[in-house]
Amino acid sequence: MIVTHELSKYYGKTTALEKLSLSIGEGEIFGLLGPNGAGKTTTIKILTTLAFPSGGWARIAGYDVVHDRPRLKPLIAVCPQEINLDKELTAFENLWFYGRLYRVPELSRRIGELLEWGQLADRAGDRVKHFSGGMQRRLLIVRALLSRPRMLFLDEPTVGLDPQIRRQLWDLIRQLKADGITVLLTTHYIEEAEMLSDRVAILNRGRLMALDTPAALVAQVGGYVVETINGHHTSYHLVQNKEEAYRRARAQAAGVLIRQANLEDVFIQLTGERLSP
Amino acid sequence: MTWFTIFLKDMLLFQRRLLRLGYVISTLFAPLLYLGAFGLGLGKRVVISGGSYLDFLLPGLVAMSSMTNSYTWVANSLNMGRLYFRTFQIYLQAPVSAGAIVAGQVAAGMVRGLFASLIILVLGLALGRRMQFNLMFALGMLANGLVFSAFGVVVGLKSRSHEDTATFTNFFILPMAFFCGTFFPVDELPWGLRGLIRTLPLTHTNELLRHPEMNRDNLVSLLILMGYGLLCVVLGIIFIRRYSE
Repeated sequence: MIVTHELSKYYGKTTALEKLSLSIGEGEIFGLLGPNGAGKTTTIKILTTLAFPSGGWARIAGYDVVHDRPRLKPLIAVCPQEINLDKELTAFENLWFYGRLYRVPELSRRIGELLEWGQLADRAGDRVKHFSGGMQRRLLIVRALLSRPRMLFLDEPTVGLDPQIRRQLWDLIRQLKADGITVLLTTHYIEEAEMLSDRVAILNRGRLMALDTPAALVAQVGGYVVETINGHHTSYHLVQNKEEAYRRARAQAAGVLIRQANLEDVFIQLTGERLSP
Repeated sequence: MTWFTIFLKDMLLFQRRLLRLGYVISTLFAPLLYLGAFGLGLGKRVVISGGSYLDFLLPGLVAMSSMTNSYTWVANSLNMGRLYFRTFQIYLQAPVSAGAIVAGQVAAGMVRGLFASLIILVLGLALGRRMQFNLMFALGMLANGLVFSAFGVVVGLKSRSHEDTATFTNFFILPMAFFCGTFFPVDELPWGLRGLIRTLPLTHTNELLRHPEMNRDNLVSLLILMGYGLLCVVLGIIFIRRYSE
């Protein structure tokens, strides 16, 4: 569905994205994981026609993101990081104007269906400025689905939301996969990338560090982590299995925590930095 | 017809804002202030071209209101929508042509400008002033709205912050409001400055609204306004096509 080849973006002397090459299959939920400034949003901006690449190329469903924009745009939709709804308009009005831009057939019926799906039907006539953050996020996803896109970009879809609302949104995103929509998701939440993504690309400072399924990435660094807490210092040891973890834990005099490795450990192993501050 | 959707959305937002009293007052505050201070105050002592100053001032304030409201609405909403609310990005990512985006924004700005100038016009007529209305007057108003709405698109797209928009206002809009024949005839200006002022669009709008006869000079003024409008529309389309974050 998406192919990029050495996709790059420079802002003066700053490198936002450096030769990103990847391929995303149809119906896949693909996660871009990395800290702030890793190049995730830049990648989405290029793929959704909001920015020209400085080098390389990208195609979605065979259409070049620079040269085939009129044919590409009806196939894609984006949920941006910022809530860019018109707050003075109602939920229905926001969807209606958006749907008209995409020439959605039977628009009112489609809006009704999606508001039901997003559990917002009872608030259709309310101005968006009176919505909670979680409701606004849900409305953003509903709006993106209005045009029946084949490819959906979700840029940090759950940022700033409380855990309960975040899990509600995860359920919505899983439904998208069930409906056959390809999803490119950016996040800096480890759990989100692991729970939702079929495959994950780890980005750091504009570079692709690793790309595989979450399980395979974690397996590459070892299945378990032994954290040894010594005063204010915590040391990490990645080990392959539980038995090895127990053996290492027993040898420690200080406090020890054994846990399963996750993508954060992969990130630390690859970059020497923590993903979340 | 996607331009009409963009226009319609702006009109709905405009309607919602109109319902706020403070918004209407702040929009019309400057022209009403000029009308009161210069027209009603100074106007009794000043005679221009054998007529009352208020009769001279009224078409100028109508043109100025149209200019400031068309320009400010478009430049601010585009700038804020692009940099802060990021609602403008919806148009850029949707299957909408650059021409449709510009057309929708310009049409909305024109309506906004016409609305503001209509209020000044009605107020002036209520004060017993006389003005000549005909096709040329209507075309002058429309062309003025086109020029300054389209200029608003250009400024809204190119300014890198809200302060940038204010800079454009201070360097282009404000001098035009004072020197292009709104408050005194352009002929009163020194020769060199007069030539420069005659190249600016508001001067031509003022001439069209004050003497809206169908003659060669007015047709040239109308063509100049259309030329400015077209130039800004083309620039707006180019800037949108080249837009990259």
